[in-house]
Amino acid sequence: MATIAGRGILAGTYSSREPFGGDLTQVQVVQPMLMAHAAAYDRHLRVTTTVDFEAWTIPDGELTFAAWGEGFVDRRHPHTVIHELVASGVGRLGGAQVSLSGGKGFAAFGSDDPANRLTLRYPVNHHWSQILERAVLTGGVLVGPVMAEASLFNGDEPEFPQQSPNVSRFGDSWSARLTVIPVRGLQAEASYAVVQSPEHRGGAGPTQNKWHASGRWQGPVGGHPFYVLAEWARTEEADGFFVFHSLLAEASWDLGPTRLYYQFERTERPEEERILGRPTRSRRPHLENSILGTSRWTLNTLGVGRDLLAAGGAYRLRPFVEVSYATVAKVGAGVFDPVLWYQGTEFWGMTLGVTVGLGRTAFSHLMGRYGVAEDAGYRSAQLHHH
Amino acid sequence: MTNARTLIATGGRAALLLWLAGCGGSDSGGPSVPPSGDLVVLGGGNNVPERYTSDLWVHGDYAYSGTWGFRSAQGDALKVWHLDAAGVPSLVDSIVTAGIGTVSDVEVSSDGTLLVFSGENGGNAGLYLYSLADPAHPTFIAKYLVATGLHTATFGYIGGKRYIFAAKDPGSPALMIFEIAPAAATPITLVSTVPVPANYGHHDTFVRDGIAFVCAWNTGVLIYDVGDGARGGSPASPQLISALVTGGGEVHNAWWFHNPVTGEKKYLFIGQEGKGTIGSVSSGDIHVVDVSNLASPHEVASYHLAGAGTHNFWMDEPHQVLYAAYYNGGVVALDVSGTLSGNLSTREIARTTPGGSGNTYIWGVMLANGRLYASDMLSGLWELKTP
Repeated sequence: MATIAGRGILAGTYSSREPFGGDLTQVQVVQPMLMAHAAAYDRHLRVTTTVDFEAWTIPDGELTFAAWGEGFVDRRHPHTVIHELVASGVGRLGGAQVSLSGGKGFAAFGSDDPANRLTLRYPVNHHWSQILERAVLTGGVLVGPVMAEASLFNGDEPEFPQQSPNVSRFGDSWSARLTVIPVRGLQAEASYAVVQSPEHRGGAGPTQNKWHASGRWQGPVGGHPFYVLAEWARTEEADGFFVFHSLLAEASWDLGPTRLYYQFERTERPEEERILGRPTRSRRPHLENSILGTSRWTLNTLGVGRDLLAAGGAYRLRPFVEVSYATVAKVGAGVFDPVLWYQGTEFWGMTLGVTVGLGRTAFSHLMGRYGVAEDAGYRSAQLHHH
Repeated sequence: MTNARTLIATGGRAALLLWLAGCGGSDSGGPSVPPSGDLVVLGGGNNVPERYTSDLWVHGDYAYSGTWGFRSAQGDALKVWHLDAAGVPSLVDSIVTAGIGTVSDVEVSSDGTLLVFSGENGGNAGLYLYSLADPAHPTFIAKYLVATGLHTATFGYIGGKRYIFAAKDPGSPALMIFEIAPAAATPITLVSTVPVPANYGHHDTFVRDGIAFVCAWNTGVLIYDVGDGARGGSPASPQLISALVTGGGEVHNAWWFHNPVTGEKKYLFIGQEGKGTIGSVSSGDIHVVDVSNLASPHEVASYHLAGAGTHNFWMDEPHQVLYAAYYNGGVVALDVSGTLSGNLSTREIARTTPGGSGNTYIWGVMLANGRLYASDMLSGLWELKTP
């Protein structure tokens, strides 16, 4: 059994404030992906993959104030071409369902990838709440309502979309995630990870200790499907010399083909020296372990989308509009001053877009969930693509 | 973020002796007991409000300081200061170089005729050479662009020739050695490139007596023969003698102490640049390495200052005092006389934060004309009275 599907978003995004002031509007194709699944032996053997084409559609990143990571700042970085390619073996051991998954993909840590979530705008906490695009080996055990997973992987993040994980570092980092699904639609999760030198491929950078916890519920409200997620994350770096926090909550309410959604986030990010003449890129590779300071971003994002085609079909066409308001503040000392850098601290953003899907699995693909986690994911809640 | 410091013996001994005389050193090699007292602000400070200050060098009646990163202006300027009779700096010129984000290192040749600085972060990153025929207004001679940038550049004098030892960073880090001949058709000539492991790469270099100490972060300090004759090394063909990773790695800068009181060349002082939030907090210790056998260096002592980390050094060798830039910890003076072992906290002579709390983040220090000068990223160039 095999399936293949594709999806992408045409988005026109406005940002009221750029580094050094001024506004900007961009029209981009974001998240263009092909997803494929194959299974054999009554789904005891599974292969899942996502191929991401952002290397060609957003080589300079997606206009997203507050976003950061992998050398991008105020731009959401493009993901690697082979976003995930994981094979899983799934079986039973006594009363437990067990699995072993390996390949390139997500480590067992944190919440679902933002590409599987409500808002188009990637949260600021992407690098605090997910660990992805690694050479990973994950074991999972699902016993009744409780699932435990553990991953071994390489600590290094990608430096550019065509780059493969540094397999020589495989096993230098690990994570564990405990998930409880007491009743259908309700899920609680807690994760911990030790990630060696994520921002320096050679391994010279400091170690991150990461915590994450979340709760998620889906059920009817007023007779219409309702979904809510709240997550907390904390990352310590260099034995606690640097500490970054994040809180995020999001909810959606589906009124027939129309979805209303809202996301709140308060997340801290490190501020690094930018490249001269390219203020949305930070200097790579790192040469030392200093930062310019920490900023705290508080964001409110409100959106509405409407499916124009019948639910359950092989095609999706969903126009949407999303509005964000954000503020930035300096946390602690350091030379980074957001007032100086952005000529202000308030940001408005708006996106008009249309999501296009082709294939029945285009929006049921559980990115980052492998083996027993895939089965538990389908049990716990449906997905909430923007 | 570093600078380079060199005190060159081969071909530079005369300059060293002149400098010692200027510092009041005795003809017997200096006093045997380090001084006591405080570091006292004499002048300067809060004099570069639009930029963050980086490295410094003082020669004669002039000082030169670099700039770093972005404040309200980019760190693309080299500041030229006149020192009055009391040694107080006043700005007389500023050289702005388009296409660089930071002037990362500054140094004047021992004869005072040439100024070099390194630039990084930008399309015009590389090595810049200026004439100091008019020390108040340096004039451009030549440049050598290095796309990934040069983090530091320091003079070395070997076999009657003048060289620059530069740190190529980031990306494919390497020690780059240039011959400097200002009157030649090609004033800057690359003579060798020695790759350095990308273990955060290469920061500072200290060159003395034909030995180059390459500070290579978590790879440690790499000791090269670049012309002392012992192992056949030369600037064109450096020969690795040994390597040592001091406690915690993060090897950033070094000073090989030639003690005129004892005649020893026993100790190498290593600066560890740890984690930091620039302008606020820092970390990293001073490590002392016994290099009496260059082939077998070993750490013997260290100094730790809680809540702060060290950066560049200058040594008052006749008085056996190490001056260390200590970022938010200000400037620290250590007694380095006699035998050094274990914890050197009792060796602290004096400490000061010239800009005050919240306005001090010292990049570098240099002793000249009997006074100590300090470059503060936040509050500019200071003149201090030594203990």
